[in-house]
Amino acid sequence: MDQRLGGRSELIRSLLRNKWLYLMILPGVLYVIVYKYIPMYGLIISFKNYKPYNGIWGSEWVGLAHFERLFQSSEFWMLFSNTLILFALQIIVFFPIPIILALMLNEVRFTPFKRTVQTLIYLPHFMSWVIVVSISFVIFTTDGGIINDILESMGLQKINFLLSEGWFRPMYILQVVWREAGWGTIIFLAAIAAVDPQLYEAAKMDGAGRLRQMVSITLPAIRSVIVVLLILKIGDVLELGFEHVYLLLNSTNRQVAEIFDTYVYVAGLKQGQFSYSAAVGFFKGFVGLVLVMGANWLAKKYGEEGIY
Amino acid sequence: MAKRKIALAGAMAAMLLVTACSGGGGNTGNGTSNTGGASTGGANDGGGERPTISIMTPLHLAETPDAKIEEMIEDKLNVDLEIQWIPASTFQDRMTSAFATGSLTDIVNIRLDGANREAIQDGQFWEVGPYLDEYENLSKLQEEVLNNTMVDGKLYALYQGRPLSRQGLIYRADWAENLGLATPQTLDELYEMMKQFTENDPDGNGQDDTVGLADRNDFGSGAFKTVGSWIGMPNEWGMQDGQLRPAFMFPEYKETMDFIKDLRDNGYMNSDFPVTSKTEQQNMLINGEAGTYIGCMCDVQQLYTGASQLNPDAAFDVQNQITTDGEPFTVWSGPGFNHPYLFPKSAVKTEEELKQILAFMDGLMDPEIANLLYWGIEGEHYTIEDGLAVPVADQGKIDREVKPYNTIEVGDPATSGRLAGKYEYAPMQKAQELFDDNANYAVQDPTLTLSSETYTDNKDRLAQIITDATYNYMLGELDEAGFDQAVARWQSEGGDQVIEEFNASYADSQ
Repeated sequence: MDQRLGGRSELIRSLLRNKWLYLMILPGVLYVIVYKYIPMYGLIISFKNYKPYNGIWGSEWVGLAHFERLFQSSEFWMLFSNTLILFALQIIVFFPIPIILALMLNEVRFTPFKRTVQTLIYLPHFMSWVIVVSISFVIFTTDGGIINDILESMGLQKINFLLSEGWFRPMYILQVVWREAGWGTIIFLAAIAAVDPQLYEAAKMDGAGRLRQMVSITLPAIRSVIVVLLILKIGDVLELGFEHVYLLLNSTNRQVAEIFDTYVYVAGLKQGQFSYSAAVGFFKGFVGLVLVMGANWLAKKYGEEGIY
Repeated sequence: MAKRKIALAGAMAAMLLVTACSGGGGNTGNGTSNTGGASTGGANDGGGERPTISIMTPLHLAETPDAKIEEMIEDKLNVDLEIQWIPASTFQDRMTSAFATGSLTDIVNIRLDGANREAIQDGQFWEVGPYLDEYENLSKLQEEVLNNTMVDGKLYALYQGRPLSRQGLIYRADWAENLGLATPQTLDELYEMMKQFTENDPDGNGQDDTVGLADRNDFGSGAFKTVGSWIGMPNEWGMQDGQLRPAFMFPEYKETMDFIKDLRDNGYMNSDFPVTSKTEQQNMLINGEAGTYIGCMCDVQQLYTGASQLNPDAAFDVQNQITTDGEPFTVWSGPGFNHPYLFPKSAVKTEEELKQILAFMDGLMDPEIANLLYWGIEGEHYTIEDGLAVPVADQGKIDREVKPYNTIEVGDPATSGRLAGKYEYAPMQKAQELFDDNANYAVQDPTLTLSSETYTDNKDRLAQIITDATYNYMLGELDEAGFDQAVARWQSEGGDQVIEEFNASYADSQ
């Protein structure tokens, strides 16, 4: 009894002692509560047959009917595999690129050149997907696009990049790399800058060349940053696809391009099937959670810190 | 692309709304719109008993209009107006989300399909049929058009009139003249024109830089459906062996696909048309890259205005009647109205309020107000010549002060006594006359007033199967057997039920 009281007053004292810190964190906490937790209430509609005029509570419960419909629908596996393949492309093709770029930039000795390159590769990040997709439309179209003009002038066949199933994924990942790779280097460069220079000096004394230094010092030093970013990326990937994929989506590539996000948009907003699309979104969120937890578990297993 | 961007931004916002906080609160619905009536100022303060009427309406221009006309209407009809202007490109999505969050206005302007139709059937909107006779102007609304808005035989909506069919051909008259081509009367002649526009250097610049047709990613308002109706394809649904069937089960649908496929294979049209936006399509005509355009003949004004700035010699003409194999001319018809106006019970609580609103709608059909809404202030925005309204030359002023109000018009010249327009640009004037001509040959969509629950629930998903297959066929990615497979898939995923339900509904209505 005494102990518990003691514990509680301890807590209050600690709260009071750090009140300014807690006050500073308050806006962040409020933000998360208001925009992330309260809306979760709406997930209830995925278990109901939501009719706007009946309200969330007033709508009738249907249990798992919407989930059953999703899992039995002919589109489910297409959506699931399309989403996971784009996800895998992001992780396997895209994720290492900023790291390689950062390592390369780190080796550049001539500072003005390094700065210029950095700025140039950051820039695309500030363009919206609409711009990126429009630019690639102009470049890749068969009606006077520069790439097809070049192919033609070399006597090759025109390639219909924009209207083919096969080219959707390369186009997608190319655009992601072009827009995001430079931006992604920032954190890695910062991590590299924080590596203790003494390590390099010691390595040099032992006769390590630049490549050896990179492999044996830089990479291990930033390994935990890489792992944390990878886990965060895994959590993000299932969220960020919508705008980009929706812009690239057309009748000819739907079989490979339709993902959960675009499907939710069409089913929910275009057709007003709120409950069903909430169920699809819920499922997607669940997959994301599993992936993040799995990645975190793996990271811990290999002795890294993880994110929690 | 800019339009698309706005659409997406809106879509994203709306998406957040639906997926994140469907129950979070209704405050999100009005986020970006202006309430135009808020600033009417001191002059009106005396009218404390003025009813407030709110409307959501699409805005087709970038900026909300000057409030002058709104204030004049408020004074004349003794109401306080709250107009929420919503960018047209996101309008449908915004209505869906406003509906989901219960933030609809007194007067809404929504499609009569999908979830909306269910809500109407569920009694969420006021039935207005019994009241119309009490209002002098509203009772003039055309019965045939009102019938097209009915849900299960009951009237819930008032409408804004539209010509039944504005579809036709726009072509470069100067190119045709250079090559000695007459106005096409048949599909073969049109094909020949597209071929020659591509191959025979119609602009005489010695370069192979032109194509016959510019088309876009839109089956309805682009070339496909209109060419189809010239060939004799039914308007969405048609009669086959005494049964209603969707258009794509008719042989004419395949003929239409083959026609477009052939144009594309021969390079007589833009090969990227499934991903070409309306802006890009129009630019091809404006820049002198393409010589024909199939869609709303009203676009001739815009095409000419753009093209004449780059090339003063550019000349356009319009043509509606194009026939195939000596068959009589037909063209598909719209329902004769634009977005219908409905009155949600969530906003309009009592019958008394409904009557106030109907009185206001009745007032909007008064010839004086109707002209004000459509043409602006006489002497300032238009003049009258031979009983026709002639807009002033300053298009910018009209866009800023008048144009956006066009979207809240009730009825049309035939019913409200609003002045018809006179256009200085002769092909545009001709287009107006051809709209009237089209009306004599228009083919209606027979399912417009029929009900099918399966269709209501799955319309877009089912349509997508066919849209995808049609594009893939025209691009040569799918052969006839593949297309038939898609049709079979459509049937098995609910299409057969839709056919059955529409036929049952049709039998009931006879």
